[in-house]
Amino acid sequence: MPVREGTYGLLAEFDSPSQLVRAADGAYQAGYRRMDCYTPYPVEEAAAAIGFHKNTVSLVCLIGGLLGLATMFGLETWISVWAFPLNIAGRPYFSWVAFAVPAYEWTILYAGLSAAFGMLFLNGLPQLYHPLFNAPNFRSGATTDKFFLCLESTDPKFDLTETRGFLDRYTPVSVVEVEY
Amino acid sequence: MAQHSNSEHHAKTLPADLSAPAFVDTWRTRALIIGCIFLALAIILGFLSGDHWSHFLRAWLHGYMICFGFCCGGMALLMVQYLSGGKWGLIIRRPLEAMTRTLPLVFLYFLPVGIFGMTFGRLYIWSKYADWATALKEHLITIDQAHAIHFKHAILNPVGFWCTSLVVFTIIGTYVFFLNKLSLKRDADPEPNFRYWQVKFENISGFGVLLYAIMLFISVIYWVMSLDPNWYSTVYGFQFLVGEAYGVLALSILTLIALSKADPIKSTFRVTEQHDMGKLCFAFVMLNIYLAFGAFLIIWSGNSPEEIPWYLDRIRGGWGVIATLDFVFHWLLPFTLLLSANLKRIKSRLAVVCCIMIFARYWDMFWLIEPNFKDAARNLHFSIGILEYATLPVAMISFWMAYYFTQLKKRPLIAVNDPHLPQILEPEHAHA
Repeated sequence: MPVREGTYGLLAEFDSPSQLVRAADGAYQAGYRRMDCYTPYPVEEAAAAIGFHKNTVSLVCLIGGLLGLATMFGLETWISVWAFPLNIAGRPYFSWVAFAVPAYEWTILYAGLSAAFGMLFLNGLPQLYHPLFNAPNFRSGATTDKFFLCLESTDPKFDLTETRGFLDRYTPVSVVEVEY
Repeated sequence: MAQHSNSEHHAKTLPADLSAPAFVDTWRTRALIIGCIFLALAIILGFLSGDHWSHFLRAWLHGYMICFGFCCGGMALLMVQYLSGGKWGLIIRRPLEAMTRTLPLVFLYFLPVGIFGMTFGRLYIWSKYADWATALKEHLITIDQAHAIHFKHAILNPVGFWCTSLVVFTIIGTYVFFLNKLSLKRDADPEPNFRYWQVKFENISGFGVLLYAIMLFISVIYWVMSLDPNWYSTVYGFQFLVGEAYGVLALSILTLIALSKADPIKSTFRVTEQHDMGKLCFAFVMLNIYLAFGAFLIIWSGNSPEEIPWYLDRIRGGWGVIATLDFVFHWLLPFTLLLSANLKRIKSRLAVVCCIMIFARYWDMFWLIEPNFKDAARNLHFSIGILEYATLPVAMISFWMAYYFTQLKKRPLIAVNDPHLPQILEPEHAHA
């Protein structure tokens, strides 16, 4: 893969979540789409402001859960009915009542694992390099007390001078140009 | 969208008038009309059925247990929200208090159960055939039943029944009185005294929850479980406790959604708290099936001749259909619907789930009560009498609702003097 060069985007730093949300909201209104917010803790409003509503983690989790249910219930049925039928105090081989508990456990297990790994996969993690860490203020502030909005250069609306001017209107602490 | 989101960034002000909107009166009138129609139908069916009002009394017990659940389950949840804290507790508090204040009506509902059901022995065979030896000789009861009635006489006797019931009502009544009185006093307190009131309610509720659980366990043993004196289950009371919270939560959410058409609930019932209550519903849906299935699994595995007939009575002879539908209404439908985060945030859809949940309680109570009787056990069949279950409890619940709406109108719908009050007026996600 060729090394990408040039500007990754413009990173604006804010002191409070409400300033960030206002800027993100404004950028979305102005037509920017390729952008992201970086906050030290989850700010749901910021996610809503940049038009991020749904993701597929819940679907992955549901499919995982159903697979777990089917796998364990199928396994129990196969063992008890065909592979190794045992007469346990005269109960039927197909004892769905007793099968329910392990099947339920596997539903939870598969759903949990697929939610966790599905989330990591869909996040693009693990990621060994991200251009934003080239910005020194991002390194020191993003996990403590600063709120960042990055408008990315891949956005068709992106223009170095115009976008910088746009971001300045929201009175950020700083606007930094980030290189790949 | 810009305007919309701007308005969301500003805190709202508490409406000046906190009393219930006028349309609650319309609800009450409607509830009374429905109640009268269904009561008339139930009485006509009582004459037509020709079973000496037997099904009428069974249906009365059904309606009584549902209303008792709403009233006293409301008290339990009221105490739980004082203990847990949280913004959902503030918004739900006044509807719950209104439910608890319906206790006089619930006590009236209890009287026919006690007088006709127990004293005249129309519901409980342990009181009808207290003279078990003669009844056994005349083949009115089986030898197992005779043995159970004899063996459990220390508990299952008229004095025990009346004393327990009256003590339970007295204790619950005392709690209802003080919880309601102190809540008004807290509203009127000129100083905030947050810490004082919080500790006071926590102290009352902490012991109250425990005491209520014990009271409920004892009373459902008498009122419902003893319909079949042979059977016993230690988790029975707990199932009722969870079932009550399940129904009360659904009813509270329905009330709030219906009230949110106008102030004061309109500007105080945020999607955040609605979502939280939806999640709590989900938790109770899971806890309910956990207990119900757990009890079934243990008894199924044990396969003991003392326990298993209770389930056989409720599965064989057509009852399996009712049991399966009970599972569908009680767990499958609410569970699959409440999995969705969006659904919990949309009022109209959440309201549908709440209706399903309340209907599930109704359905479940039918499945619990009717197969206790000899003519119905392992033999689900149509009779005019069985239609009582579709009419009399509806009438009783409607009258209860009318009383509930009256109580709802008596107080401001939002409790003030609570540190959560400014928080529920904040815009959504303002904590971020």
